[in-house]
Amino acid sequence: MRVLIVEDEPRLAENIARSLRESAGYAVDVAADGQEGWFLAESNTYDVVLLDLMLPQMDGMQLLTRIRQAGQLTPVLVLTARDEKESVVALLNAGADDYLTKPFDLGELLARTKALIRRGKGQPSPVLVIGDLQLNTVNRTVQRSGRTIMLTAMEYRVLEYLAHRPGAVVSKTELLEHLYDYNWEKFSNVIEVYISGLRRKLDNGSDQQLIHTVRGQGYILQD
Amino acid sequence: MLRSKSIKGRLIATVVVSQALLAAGLLFAGVFYTRRRLVSTLDAGLQARAMSVAALVRYTEDASGNVYFDDSLMPRSLDPDHPDFFAVWTERSGLLTRSSNWPAGLEIPAGPDLHWDLTWAHVTYRVWRISHVPVLDREEGQSFRPQDLTIVYAAPLIQVHEQVRAAGVFIALASLALLGATFLLALYGIRRGLLPLQRLAKQAALVSAHNWELRLPTDAEETTELRPLTHSMITMLARLERSFVQQREFLGNAAHELKTPVAVLKSTLQSLLHRPRSSEEYRAGVQESLEDLGRLERLLQWMLRLARAEQWAHGALRRDIELIDITETCEEAVERIRSLAQSRHTRIHLATNGKVLFRADPEDLQLVWQNLLENAVRYSPEGGVVEVAVTGTDGGPARIIFEDHGVGIPADELPHVFERFYRGDPSRTRATGGFGLGLAIAKALVEAYGGTITAENAPSQGTRMTVELPLNGSN
Repeated sequence: MRVLIVEDEPRLAENIARSLRESAGYAVDVAADGQEGWFLAESNTYDVVLLDLMLPQMDGMQLLTRIRQAGQLTPVLVLTARDEKESVVALLNAGADDYLTKPFDLGELLARTKALIRRGKGQPSPVLVIGDLQLNTVNRTVQRSGRTIMLTAMEYRVLEYLAHRPGAVVSKTELLEHLYDYNWEKFSNVIEVYISGLRRKLDNGSDQQLIHTVRGQGYILQD
Repeated sequence: MLRSKSIKGRLIATVVVSQALLAAGLLFAGVFYTRRRLVSTLDAGLQARAMSVAALVRYTEDASGNVYFDDSLMPRSLDPDHPDFFAVWTERSGLLTRSSNWPAGLEIPAGPDLHWDLTWAHVTYRVWRISHVPVLDREEGQSFRPQDLTIVYAAPLIQVHEQVRAAGVFIALASLALLGATFLLALYGIRRGLLPLQRLAKQAALVSAHNWELRLPTDAEETTELRPLTHSMITMLARLERSFVQQREFLGNAAHELKTPVAVLKSTLQSLLHRPRSSEEYRAGVQESLEDLGRLERLLQWMLRLARAEQWAHGALRRDIELIDITETCEEAVERIRSLAQSRHTRIHLATNGKVLFRADPEDLQLVWQNLLENAVRYSPEGGVVEVAVTGTDGGPARIIFEDHGVGIPADELPHVFERFYRGDPSRTRATGGFGLGLAIAKALVEAYGGTITAENAPSQGTRMTVELPLNGSN
């Protein structure tokens, strides 16, 4: 999963980014002003955008409107210091999906971020079930037929993304887009390494293959 | 005790009192005039009657020149209950005759013609004495010297008094009726006249901190006497609204500005607790938290400083002020800002021409100069020069100019730079560590001393801030 944080207070942005990376294993991009935020949102695909309202260059409301006008479906969580009813209503009406008032709780921010990602991908439950595979996004554990499977951080991130879109063909490019942040060199062959690792660990002791390769298109997770 | 005063009551009292005075005057004048007219008519009658009495004095047939009084033709009195009385004296033989009802013991003073009032048996009489009346009876070719008579004639004043009283009662009753009518008319008129005031009060009662609009009733607007009131109400409301909005904005801004550092601090501590960390990580986290806390503390300090400056600017606090040298406070401020300037390789050039004396708290002025200097240094390019000039001309204000050679301020932002929490370019200001309060504090302090502060773009490049302080002001 890849998150965009648009926040002009560098220390706050840094704390949120660290928390998302450490606790959720997400790839995080940080923009310090509205213009940079728009540039990143426009040129990349994010699974959720965390947006501060008071921003230099282009304020949060403008950026939000622009994102929605561009037809992007990405869920947007607004971080605001103002909690008056009017401004909250205006925010939601402008296309925000949720909001948190500063100072917020990091745990709540994480939970809301995860919930927004889930719902954005049509998955209401935090525990994703594909056949006999169970993926718990809260404590990041994977089980197959009751057997716990230990994955590396990157393997988990690949599987988590695939599990959010079961039955859909996911290209290598899409995986790269959603698993790495802006500053990362993207090499598509690393995906193949993670997929083969996943297959080995998931299918060990089972005759049913879960991750299928669609030649020339990508991967599909289904039983 | 608080006495409630009613405009309506006072106006009506004024009308009634003036009307009553008018009525009393009218009554007095009417009675006086009526009495005068009646008495003068009575006097004419009295004189005529005295003459008719004189006509009854006749010479005796013996041509001796003696006279006698022929009372057979005596005219009847007008008032049979209180008959007239009279007496006739002759020149030669004294008292000739007097009426039967002549008051016993009434002495008539000697002297020329006169008339007076006399009370006898509880009745007031009008008395006339007419002397040197010739005997009207004349004989052809009489040889004796004709005699002169002195006649005293009196008639009662009862009828005159009754008529005067009747006239008085009539005038008084008419006045009372008019007074009553005036009172009602005044009451109605005043009630109507005060209606616009009541409507205005009703509209004014609708004004609140949430609804500042005062809908002026048209009649209140049209009433000349209410115009100063409505005018000052409107200006007062505008002032109040402005300060309310400012306060609300300040609170909103302050809340926002405070929430951000609190959010930073909270997130730092929470992310530190998210999972077990090494003691180095904890140490670094605590260090960061302290830095966040320091920023929060500085913001609070600035906000308090601003609140104090503004409170003082509004006259809420007074403190000791003394005669100080503006130039010296400038030098002190430059000294205090020097380390910041050196870290940015900025030079500060201070141009002065001697002492400029001013009554102030030196700390206030130093704070103003420091804020302006800090601003100038922060927006100067690395290695730039900030120029400060202090001039105090005779008769004019003291002028202190701060000029930097940075990028300047866009023209549309110039009017806002002194607003609280205003940051022309937030990213730039945040990078330079400001809170957007320094210039607001400077403005509040300068205005507290009756001065002005203006920002403009310097002719060359950069920003020029000009402070003017009134040297012979009453501060």
